[in-house]
This record gives sequence, C-alpha cells and structure tokens, in this order.
Amino acid sequence: MATITLTVNRVKHTVALEHDKVKLSDVLRDQLELTGVKVGCGVGKCGSCTVILNGKAVTSCNLPATRADGAEVQTIEGLSDGFALHPVQEAFIETGAIQCGFCTPGLVMRTVALLNQTPAPTAQQVKDALEGHLCRCTGYEAILEAVRVSQEKLSRV
Amino acid sequence: MPLNLVGKSVHRVDAVAKVTGAAKFVADITVDRMLHAKVLRAGVPHALINSIDVSRAEAMPGVHKVVTGRGCTILFGTCLWDQPPLAVDRVRHAGEAVAVVLARTESQAEAAVKEIKVDYTPLPYVLDPVEALSASAPILHEKNGEYRRVQYVVLSEKNNNVFHHYKLRKGDAAAAFAGCDVVLEDDFEYPLMSHAALEPHGAICRFEADRSIEIWASNQAPFVLRDVLSDMFGVPNTKIRVHIPYLGGGFGGKSDISIEPMVAYAASFVPGYAVKLVLTRKEVFTSSLVGRGMKGHMKLGATKEGKLVALEARLCFSDGAYGDTGWPVVTVSGHNCTGPYEIPNCHVDALGIYTNTPPVGAYRGYGHPEGQFMCSRLMDRLARTLKIPLAELMRRNFLSEGKANGLGQVIKKSNGDLYACLEAVEKSLGSKPAEDDTYLYGRGLAAMMKSPKMAANASSCAYLQVSGDGSVFINLAGIEMGQGCHTVFTQMAAEALKVPMDKVRIYSDVDTQFTPWEWQTVASMQTYRGGRAITQACERAIELLKSNAAVVLECTPDDVEYDGQHCFLKSVPDKRLTVGSLARGYMYQNGLTVGVPVQATGSYRVQGVTEPDPETGMGNAAGSWTFGVQAADVRIEKATGKVEILHFSSAFDPGRVVNPQLCRGQITGGVVQGIGHALHEKIQFDDKGVIRGANFGPYHIPTVKDIPEKQTVTFVETPNPEGPFSAKPIAEHPIVVVPGVLLNALFDATGVEFTHVPVTPKDILEALKGRR
Repeated sequence: MATITLTVNRVKHTVALEHDKVKLSDVLRDQLELTGVKVGCGVGKCGSCTVILNGKAVTSCNLPATRADGAEVQTIEGLSDGFALHPVQEAFIETGAIQCGFCTPGLVMRTVALLNQTPAPTAQQVKDALEGHLCRCTGYEAILEAVRVSQEKLSRV
Repeated sequence: MPLNLVGKSVHRVDAVAKVTGAAKFVADITVDRMLHAKVLRAGVPHALINSIDVSRAEAMPGVHKVVTGRGCTILFGTCLWDQPPLAVDRVRHAGEAVAVVLARTESQAEAAVKEIKVDYTPLPYVLDPVEALSASAPILHEKNGEYRRVQYVVLSEKNNNVFHHYKLRKGDAAAAFAGCDVVLEDDFEYPLMSHAALEPHGAICRFEADRSIEIWASNQAPFVLRDVLSDMFGVPNTKIRVHIPYLGGGFGGKSDISIEPMVAYAASFVPGYAVKLVLTRKEVFTSSLVGRGMKGHMKLGATKEGKLVALEARLCFSDGAYGDTGWPVVTVSGHNCTGPYEIPNCHVDALGIYTNTPPVGAYRGYGHPEGQFMCSRLMDRLARTLKIPLAELMRRNFLSEGKANGLGQVIKKSNGDLYACLEAVEKSLGSKPAEDDTYLYGRGLAAMMKSPKMAANASSCAYLQVSGDGSVFINLAGIEMGQGCHTVFTQMAAEALKVPMDKVRIYSDVDTQFTPWEWQTVASMQTYRGGRAITQACERAIELLKSNAAVVLECTPDDVEYDGQHCFLKSVPDKRLTVGSLARGYMYQNGLTVGVPVQATGSYRVQGVTEPDPETGMGNAAGSWTFGVQAADVRIEKATGKVEILHFSSAFDPGRVVNPQLCRGQITGGVVQGIGHALHEKIQFDDKGVIRGANFGPYHIPTVKDIPEKQTVTFVETPNPEGPFSAKPIAEHPIVVVPGVLLNALFDATGVEFTHVPVTPKDILEALKGRR
C-alpha cells in the first residue's frame, strides 16, 4: 500500500492510500477528519472541495492524492486559529454570503488564494476566479460583495 | 410596539459553524460499525428483471452483503403506495436501484457492484408525458388505480399511465369563451430539471436487534420519513429515531422521501451495522428526485377592455416511474395556473403521468412555475393583442381584497398588495436602450402568486425552557437548509421574550426522539408557521414567569410586569425578581421553593384548510398567499444569441421582512435559479432513454458569470395579523415567474414567441434567422 507524506494546516502527516485512485479530498475527509472539505460533484466542477495546495487553490475531489505527496495543504479548518476568524471568513458572514454553507469552505479558500496572489483584483479577475464555484442558494451577489469586503479588510491588515 | 430584532439584518446564527467547516452535513457523519453502500443502477429505462447473480460480488473483499429486491413485498408512500425500495422484478427508469452492496469501505463496495450480473428483458419505454397518454404507450404500472392510496386526494385512473387527474371546474368556461372578444392559446413546455442543491443526498441507517431503527438523513421532513419507515417495516413511530444534520440546500429535492427507504431496506439485512450511502452527483441527477417536466396547453379569453373571463388549461407532467411525490405538485399546478388574477371561469385538467424517468417531486415553486409560465406568457400576448400596456392589463385583473381566486377563496387585504408591488417594480426601471449594431434590447414583466400546498393538519410545534441564568433554549424541527430559519427563529424568540439574541439557542440537531412533531420544512412555511409556534411558547413562558413571581410578590399574575430581565410589581417597580431566579421556581434562602420550572410549548396550524373537492377542484385549499411582481431588462448579442440580463427587478409582499439581508438573499438566489431554468437547464436523455451529461458541466446551473448586472429587490409590507410579527411566507416565490419575465423580454427584443424553456443561444439564433 502506497503512502504519502503531506503537511496539512501546518501539521505533517504520513497516510496510507487504500488504492491508487484515492483523491486528495478522500485523504483530507476520511483519514484526517477535515470534513470542512466538501464534495459536491466529484469531478472538479463545483468548487466545494477547494483547498490551497502549495499556495494555489485546487479542487481536491479530482486530484490524485499521490500528487499531494510532499505538499503543503491548507483547508478551511486551518484558516482561523480556532476562535479568531480570518478576515475573509468575517467578510462572508457580514455580507450574508452564506446560506446552506456547502459551497462556503471552497469559496472562502478560493478567495484567500486569490487575494494572496492578487491583492487588488479587477471585477473580471474576481469573476474568473469564482467561475468554477457553484452556489445554488445566493445568486452570487453577496459572494461578490464578500470578496470585495475581504479585499478591504486584508488591505488594512 | 417598536421592534428591536425583528426587521434587522442580524448575522446568521449558523454562520460561524459554516464558515469554519465545523457545520456537519450527512456525508460528514461517521458512526461506529458503519458499512458503506454502493448501488447498482438499472441502466435501462424499462425492463423485466429475469435474474440477478450476486455470487461473485458477495465473494469480493470487504463485502458483507449484497441486497436485491427479490422477494420484497414492501411498497412505500405517504398518500400513494406504488414504489418498492429496490426494483423487484421490473425496472421503470434507468436510474432505479437494482442491488445494493454493503462493504467495509466505499471502494470495496464500488468494486463489487461491477461484479453483479443482471439479465433483463427490455420493454418499450416512454419519456414524454403526452406520448405516455396515447393508447399505444407502454403501461408502467398494471396496478395503477388499484394501489393503496388516499382516495380523496390522489385521483388515479385505470388501464393507463394517469395516476392523478386533478380537475378544476369553476364557472362555465366553455360558455364564457363564446362570449370573449379575444381568445389566445398556445402549447408550452417546462422540461425536467435538477434541484442541484450542492450537497448530494445521503443517509446512514441502522437496525437494532430489537427492531428499532436509527437514521441520519439529508431530509427536510424527519417526521414524514419516520412515519414512512414505520409503515414499511411495521415498527411503531416511537422506535424510529431520525436525525437531521445541516442540509446543503434542499429546494424541495430533499423534502420527499427518496433514497431513505432503499438504504433502510438494505440496512435491515445487516442488523447492528449502520449503512451509509451518499449519492454521487450523477446519481443525484438519475436516481433521486427531479423537478418540473410539464407539457401544457393554455387558452385565455378576455373582453376587449382587458377583463379576463375564462381560462382553459391542460398540464401533463412526466412524473416519472412512481407517483407519490408528484401528485400534490400536479394539483397545485392546476389550481394556481391562473396566476395572481381573478378569472371567473376556469376549466383545468392537470395530469400526473407515469413515464420512464426519475420520479418528479417537490421543487422550489411547487407547480406554480409550470402553470404561471403559461399564464404570464399569454398575458403578455393579450396585452399586445388588445393594445393595452401589460402593466395596465395586470392591474385590471389582479387579485385583491374581495376577489376570488381559482379555488373560489376570497382574498383579504392582508393577503398582500400586487398593485404596490407593480408600482415598485415600474419605478425601479430606467429607460430601455434602442437596438444598436451589436445588441437587441428587451424588457419583460410578469406577476406571480404562490400559496403553500400542505396537509390540512400541517403544524409546527415548539418546546421552550428557561434556564437558571435566564437564557432560553427552544427545540423545534424547522430544518436549516440555508434559508435561515434558525436565525429568524432566534430573532423572533428574542423579540418576543425581550432578551438579546445570544440568550436564545435554537437546537440545531433535529432528532425525532427529542424534537416536537412538525409536519415538514416545505412550502416556505417556517418563518410563518414555526414563528407562530415559537411566539406562542414565548407568551406562555412569560405567563409562567409572572405567576411564579406573583407567588413571591404576594399578588396576582396580572399585577406583575415582565421586561426581559425581571418580573416586577407594576405598582412598585422596585419590587423585582430576576428571570433566572424564577426559571426553576423561586427558591428562598432556606431552600424552600415555590412556583414551577418554566417550560412551555407552542403550536400553530394554518386554520381551516381543506383538500380541494374531488369533483370541482375548489375549496379552502390554500392557507396563505404571497404576491410578487418582477421585471427584467435584457440584451441579446446578435452575433451569438447570448442573453445578458442588465437589470432584474423584484417586488414581493412578505407581510414583514424579519431579516432584510436573509430575505434579499432568498430573492437574489431564487431569481438566479430561475434564470437557470429560463436559459440553461434541461435534463436530457440519450436515444436509449438514459439521462446523459448527468453532472455539472453538461448540466449548466448559473455561475457567477450568468447573473444579472444589477438586481433591485423591493419589499412591500402589507400588515398581516395572522403572521408572527406580521410575516408571511417568502422563499420559493422569486423563482416562480422568472421564465415568464425573461421570455416576455426575449419577445420584446426579438418579436419571437418562445413557449419553451430553456431558450438557448442556439434557439435565439434560429429565431433571428427567421426574423431577417
């Protein structure tokens, strides 16, 4: 049985893979109990499973776990310190960008990655970044506002 | 009395759990001794099962059991018992479950599914509801009309595929049409669609040795689920425990019983083990429930002054392989296809028809979008024919105080104000640009109404207890699926008790072992009905606090005032006792305690609701209404046929908006879901009767790039004494007439009468070709 070693939310883990088709989302959810990683489609088309891998937002439901060997991964659980929320999390709450919450962790991680890379994105860059994220509840208006407020908050940090 | 919390955009009470990944959905739950299930699907739309060979699958590593429907005599349902938990000797749609593998891991189960061999004799199949009515169509259920059913409400025929035929006979439509100055009619199509809640359906079920059953499910209706399992397995209600975690969206797709009977049936073969199944996205499309699926015809007659006189409609629903979840949608689609207009003569036939597709169930709007799509398109055409502005035509026919709806119910002022909604929408619109080299521009307008379809005894029940520190917990079974009911409940309870919100905790884990009975979380009723249950419990708790205080203050309860923190003597406000000190009865210094622990219940049922009369289809079947008006400005790129929505404006009358931010979110989200229906979404079948492109991507739900450039949302708040703090239902409503609005706008831009959804760029390019 193959094993991989990866650092998740600053903690190093070595995990055994049941078979070679195990996806990163399986490792995170089933073996590391990081169930904030949501699986909505299994083919990387809804964005709910988005995590940050070596600084980039990726969909973990279609990423073979072996590709994360040696990687640094951040999930929604690693974003706050347990009590104090990350500014992006605060922005999603304040703007009413959360309804059922299933797409929320993926969107928050995408927003964090976007604003890390591009601190002042244009409206088009924001839409390009969020296009791969499906939300059936909000109609996206509040989510766009959450990204805007996130940007404001981060620029003040 | 001024309100402190109701009417404020407070943050969601579940927001922190959801934004940190802590909120648990059914897929996130693991229990001990848990097996994983994977399901073999039929893959053919209609066939007899000759044999199923599970021997190789059962020998695979990790496999505990392979369950098939062989010998299963159970049919489940709530009003029409026509569906087995697993196919027995026949499959009726390609996504139907044929066998379930239970294994230690998901991949072991998946591997074993591939080893099951099934021998079928294919049967002719039918997907289209109108074709399914023809004499040559295959009959899906030879026992149609003989199945156990609630005969007053499910009106089945025999020897055909019509399992429900709702008839509305109001006035004399045939005679009335003869006297009309204008009669318009057309055919319409609103195809099958997926709810596409982001969370796939899931369930975990365990049978214990004493035959008690425990189940965790992504379901909007825990008590209906309990009662269905109870009926299936002959186990008393009380020995079944249903847990409902957070739901990742429902939209009705989780309100009906769907996968749970199959999971429970499989679990009954491995008592002591829990069986977990979470659907793949593909299975959500093929093997849960779908929505809509109507082909219809509507005829509208009016005087030359623009007064509606008669309506005739026939709505045929491809309701899929089983009918229990479809029939009530059919009924409502029929009696509310009039839209928000007074029409004295109506002749409507709405048919629930068995077809070889997944079963149709509740979907946001519940029959209203299908019927009112037709009516809103014909109103637009009628306005043009009569050369009366559409807004004026709408005003001449709106339901308002004293007018009767299709069911014959007389509308009260408190039911809402369509005129004010229309005025608000008109005010929000700017001037419409003229056609230019690149774009055609169009504006569309439509009005809607919705009433909840519910069991006549549908109730909400709440339990409240005050704790020793004066904080309060409330237990009720309103399911939080994103709509924000827990937040609204907290606001209303805190308002009623005059305490800050953080003193109120709504129990978030619904558990039928502890939670009081509730009909189900559907029909946009939690704010309205759950809210009434809560406010009653709060009033009763205050009464108990006052009577405890009266014992100590040596007066009558009427002499006591309550302000949220204290109970005090009205005449001597300094004689006061804290709420906490009264919560468990009042204890004197020496321990002697008087009064009672403060706990209270509340309940609410919409009063006087009956089922429609089986002959006329009329009666007091709607318990409340919400009205709205919507408009859109669109532009169409001539070269590509691509539709862009420049402005979408909505005005609804929800009585009182309890939380403006949440309420706006319901509207903006509902509008975008409706845009998906109007322009993008359709479940497609291949030439073998199997759903193709069953995942996101091929099935395109709106992304951030498909939304209107601007949404205007206005609320008209007509006082409604029946509602808690005057509130009325609002949630499904913004989706109802979006297709009508947008197709009216497409007509305005192109001069083409589209009568089907979705209208794709390809459709538009075709139509524009004809135009040139």
